Amino acid sequence: MTRSAALWLVLGGIGYAILPWYLVEGLSPLSAKWWASYPFGNAGSGLFLGWSGDRWWLGPTFLPLLVGAALLVRGGRRPEDGRWLTWIGAAGLVWMVIAGFAIDHRNWTIDLFAEWFGPEKQAGMGYGAFATALAFLMVLAHGLAARGFCRSDAFVVSAIALVLGLVLLFVFFPIAQILVSAVEDNNGHFAPGIFFVKFFDRSVWGLDCVYSNLRCGVAWNTLFLAVVVGVGTTVLGLAFALIALRTRFQAKGVLRALTILPIITPPFVIGLALILLFGRSGAVTGLLFEWFDVPRTRWIYGFTGVFIAQMLAFTPIAFLVLIGVVQGISPSLEEASQTLRASRWTTFRTVSLPLMRPGLANAFLLGFVESMADFGNPLVLGGNYEVLSTKIFFAVVGAAHDQSRAAVLSIVLLTFTLGAFYAQYRWLGNRSYTTVTGKGDSGLPVPMPKRMAWLCYGTAIPWAMFTAVIYVVILVGGFVKTMGRDYTPTLQHYITGFGIEQTSRGLYFAGSAWDSLWTTIKVAAVAAPLTAIVGLLTAYLLARQRFVGKRSFEFITMLSFAIPGTVVGVSYILAFNVPPIEITGTGLILVICFIFRNMPVGVRAGIATMSQIDRSLDEASLTLGARSFTTVRRVILPLLRPAVVASLVYAFVRAMTAVSAIIFLVSAQYNMATAYIVGRVEAGEFGLAIAYSSVLIVVMLLAILVIQLLVGERRLGRRTAAAPVLQAAGG
Amino acid sequence: MLKHVLCIATLALIGLPTPSAKAQGEVTVYCSVLAEWCEVMRTEFERATNIKVQMTVKSAGETLAQIRAEATNPRGDIWWGGGGDQHLQAAELGLTEEYRSALLPKLHPWARQQAEQAKFRTVGIYAGTLGIVWNTEQLAKRNLPAPACWSDLVKPAYRDEIQMSNAATSGTSYTFLATLVQIMGEEPAFAYLRELHRNINQYPRSGAAPMRSVAQGESTMAVTWMFAAVAEAEAGFPVLNIAPCEGTGYEIGSQSIVKGARNLENAKKWYDFALSAPAQATGVRAKSYQIPSNVEAPLPPKTPRLNEVKLIDYDFAKFGSNDVRTRIIARWEKEIANLPR
Amino acid sequence: MTKPAAAVEFRSVTKRYGPVTAVNAVSFVIDPGTLVTLLGPSGCGKTTTLRLIAGLELASEGQILIGQRDVTKLSAADRDVSMVFQSYALFPHMTVAENVAYGPSVSGTPKAEAQAMAAEKLALVGLSGLEKRLPSELSGGQQQRVAVARALVLEPQVLLFDEPLSNLDAKLRRRVRDDIRELQQKLNLTVAYVTHDQEEALAVSDRIIVMSNAAIAQTGRPRDLYEAPNSVFVADFIGDANLLAAELLTRQGDLGRIRLGGLEITLPHRNVSTGAIRLAVRPESVLLDQRSPPGAIEGRITKAAYLGTHMEYTVASPVGDLFSIDHRTGAPYAVGTTVWITLAAHGAVVVPNA
Repeated sequence: MTRSAALWLVLGGIGYAILPWYLVEGLSPLSAKWWASYPFGNAGSGLFLGWSGDRWWLGPTFLPLLVGAALLVRGGRRPEDGRWLTWIGAAGLVWMVIAGFAIDHRNWTIDLFAEWFGPEKQAGMGYGAFATALAFLMVLAHGLAARGFCRSDAFVVSAIALVLGLVLLFVFFPIAQILVSAVEDNNGHFAPGIFFVKFFDRSVWGLDCVYSNLRCGVAWNTLFLAVVVGVGTTVLGLAFALIALRTRFQAKGVLRALTILPIITPPFVIGLALILLFGRSGAVTGLLFEWFDVPRTRWIYGFTGVFIAQMLAFTPIAFLVLIGVVQGISPSLEEASQTLRASRWTTFRTVSLPLMRPGLANAFLLGFVESMADFGNPLVLGGNYEVLSTKIFFAVVGAAHDQSRAAVLSIVLLTFTLGAFYAQYRWLGNRSYTTVTGKGDSGLPVPMPKRMAWLCYGTAIPWAMFTAVIYVVILVGGFVKTMGRDYTPTLQHYITGFGIEQTSRGLYFAGSAWDSLWTTIKVAAVAAPLTAIVGLLTAYLLARQRFVGKRSFEFITMLSFAIPGTVVGVSYILAFNVPPIEITGTGLILVICFIFRNMPVGVRAGIATMSQIDRSLDEASLTLGARSFTTVRRVILPLLRPAVVASLVYAFVRAMTAVSAIIFLVSAQYNMATAYIVGRVEAGEFGLAIAYSSVLIVVMLLAILVIQLLVGERRLGRRTAAAPVLQAAGG
Repeated sequence: MLKHVLCIATLALIGLPTPSAKAQGEVTVYCSVLAEWCEVMRTEFERATNIKVQMTVKSAGETLAQIRAEATNPRGDIWWGGGGDQHLQAAELGLTEEYRSALLPKLHPWARQQAEQAKFRTVGIYAGTLGIVWNTEQLAKRNLPAPACWSDLVKPAYRDEIQMSNAATSGTSYTFLATLVQIMGEEPAFAYLRELHRNINQYPRSGAAPMRSVAQGESTMAVTWMFAAVAEAEAGFPVLNIAPCEGTGYEIGSQSIVKGARNLENAKKWYDFALSAPAQATGVRAKSYQIPSNVEAPLPPKTPRLNEVKLIDYDFAKFGSNDVRTRIIARWEKEIANLPR
Repeated sequence: MTKPAAAVEFRSVTKRYGPVTAVNAVSFVIDPGTLVTLLGPSGCGKTTTLRLIAGLELASEGQILIGQRDVTKLSAADRDVSMVFQSYALFPHMTVAENVAYGPSVSGTPKAEAQAMAAEKLALVGLSGLEKRLPSELSGGQQQRVAVARALVLEPQVLLFDEPLSNLDAKLRRRVRDDIRELQQKLNLTVAYVTHDQEEALAVSDRIIVMSNAAIAQTGRPRDLYEAPNSVFVADFIGDANLLAAELLTRQGDLGRIRLGGLEITLPHRNVSTGAIRLAVRPESVLLDQRSPPGAIEGRITKAAYLGTHMEYTVASPVGDLFSIDHRTGAPYAVGTTVWITLAAHGAVVVPNA
């Protein structure tokens, strides 16, 4: 048996025999409660609770551990160890799952058992149960590795087992819970007929708008908006990218700043700013009315408003994807085209543009998916234009309280996003788009054709100015009494939210926003590194290892990205409010939710960067006696810095700006900034909402700086292609 | 780098997952009124009882969804505030606990009646009357007359000037539908709504949105709670409100004890406290101008008194039931919401 | 070297990737302290074989032993084997010294000691003084030597080379190849060396394993392979060969009478039965003359190229087009000249399994 397998067995033993098996509320290592009845009672260990008959179903868990102990005592390495370890791990896990799900906090989950065995109950998994389950999983992985799985690499098998276990538990399990409700009526009875009725409902798929002045189904609305936004952001993003890289445009720095801002802007804020400018009583509307007699209308509410807001919010993502791609196009290819007497325009059309195909597809896909998942903008600006994300939210919280309808609509949304992923996968196919090779490329990028350049300026510059105006509104909005009515400068909003009082006992954070701000920063700071670790580990497995079922593995890890936040939020409550995993109301559930929602970006960024790193580097490290873990730590991770930065930043920013998923998960102790802002917007305190948002923007900017300082630059001794970071952030 | 990250992660993790100390002196409150009022109530209750309050502020719809999802293992102890409609629904679903407070006799008849109808699974803490609100500046700009009755709203002059929330998602609008049905009868009510539809510029999904729009001048008029208009006027917005001449409905903002509450005794203490006159007087301090349910609580200034407006005899038992609600909302969605304008 | 060199043994090793068999039931032994080359065209399975030794791939079937120990199921990190990669695989974010000290440092050797070991090996490959550089600041040849130093630093039982010269220019290639051979003999290392360049293989190897289609075509000393190829493939792959149709007339002891066109020669028959056979004739054994010796075959020069040290001719003849090398560069034959062809005493061989 290897040393690490032995260590895991020992941990399993500790978890079972010493640590408190169940989650004990209010338990802290310092409290006297620990010792009151330990090792029995609430904080008792599995061993004592199981064999005293108190919680007899914990008893059998001992058997595999005993076998493990026997193996440990015997010592040495034998060929049959692998088989034993596999059995120990599998048996232990299977029993724990059965015992965990068979009994909840009230009674047996299967009535028949309650009759046979009499009533029993148990609390959620605590440190002991968690350690034991983890140990069994790792022992199983070590057993499989010893039997030759994944080139006998215990680290790789363990990593696969861990990621798979986590994803099944925190993505698949909750999602399955809510999707099941799609075929149930609202009383929990199985009713597949209702699914079809709700799925094919006219309000979902109706095409009335084509041939009458009625409205179309919400599915078509969503699809139409997403396609238009996807195309729009891609075109604008391309224009920005071309200006940044292929022209002598002077104010490129400003351009960059304008593309970062929307990414770190909390939801609602862009929509609010648009209303303050273009609403019926907005500043611009007022000017137009007074100067040109343009009537005040409500045109901003509906498709147009949502479209503009989403364009503002998501164009930067397209830009970041495309700038990497445009940068990556080898100038030699374009020069080759010109030597073949193609004009600049023909070169651009026939060589440059097709080479950008993967980038364009990626940018479109991201715009498409983001638009589908967007909740804040349609809520503020949607008017009577309904989209799936808000419809799902209100199916859950609205007066109708129709959870099964929410599930059905989620399936529609899921179908669209997964369909888009699949279409992109098919469209790109296996063609080679490799343009970054190890060889130096001495060619000079071809300047854009005149026509194209003017087109780019014509679209991008007005847009950039528009974005700038929006942010001026956001900045000013926090410092005036009532934006749109009363422009008296005031600090009142900041004092309400972030007041600090000097008291006799030191500083007192009196502002009403402090609590949620601290929680948000804390949760985001915990979630971001964990998200990056899980994401990059998954990327490493997908990019560097071969194993059975890799494609399904990849699919499952991408699943949580495609599921609307509201659905995730509700499904987390359904799944994790009862034993064996009972974590609602804690900060942990927020952290876990963020990890698995934002992990896919880390995965994509990691795969993209890793595919640029020669595989023989890992192999060289392996043949030099470094195990995979050491290899990852000392060779891959340092070379992966751009991806590390990208996934850390993304995870942090997303954790600070998420709304729909967490609205159900926040609790009294763990309130999040966005939930607070939503409350302010609902109560009409736009000033405070905007002030808080500005503070969040500053916090996120600081966080990005800190992340870059901590992670540092990748040292290659040559000029790096700067793109991957940004490209990865989007891809 | 990794070391740093791991350090931070572990440190923070250690601090995070320990569940809150549910000692004797705690109560978890789901609060569904304005955050300010929630805060004031929290402070007052803590001061009066020395019980620590864990408070979550969410809309009534969100709270009901949460209580439903948590039903098998409740996290909250008491749900305070929010439309009586949702509270009645929770009572009907068996999500809330029956409790007869000693203070019941001190309540207005409308509150007592609602509690009886709900078999004491909920109780009214305040009342809000439905009315018409408008932005005086916008009205003047368009040279429009001020409305006085529900019937005024269908005038062609008001085309595109009125906002009401989406009945499918907002309890406010459901109260409006139920009121109309009770005043006119169901068929005439729907005929009226069909006409009204032409004048509605938007059905926002949130119940609070129409009031916002009117205050900001984004919409000229709205159908919503009159006390909300009082608050906006206090905040300096040019907003007026009126109780329509045909009579109007009202909601009873309620509180309920969550079934399976972990701190049942403290929840009851909150329940009693919230029904007391001093507690109900806190609303005014937080710019919430609803009418308290305790007869001894002082009435907020400027809010129309219940006896000053023409109130209908709102049948909470009938229109609070799931079946009736689902049917009326479905009919509105089918026949009105998707009509061309 | 403190550790004695170890043997590598393959016992019927097979490696499959799904339906594709990359290595098919291969068995061989690499003796301790020898340099054995795995030679073959691309896709023949030679690199997979090398990676099987390294543990970068695990065998689907069969057994692999290194120094008598069964390592079939051991991962790369658990085998006492080092490898020099085609791309060198130097860690770009580490200096030369850090690269070389990587092996000892990940196995827990104290830092100072690891650095001393690295310095020693860098001195061995003649790179002292470049410790602080990054790999990207070195020339190709220097990078290659860093890779070798890094592989040597753990004094492995077996050292593997995967086409180590393919990224170097022709001049440097010869020198580095000699350096590798010298190092191997000086340190008495067991080396497995993959290349597709037969000249390189002939120059450095104690033995050569020629692979083709996932299997071993022939194993032997360089001279054996060149002079006695046992298949058309090997004859063609090791050096250039004219493969000609001939007839084995009679067998006498080890020798046989063979007719090639009008020419009759005596060669070892290598157990080929009488009748039609294949003859491999090295280009330098195809002798051209303008006079007509008895029995010579008549041919006509169709191509002639001057290569400094020798001439290369293509000659059209009744037995087929012949490729010939002639070291007399003084008065080359012009294209179209009629020449007479004979075979030298050495350099023609009967190919079995034709």
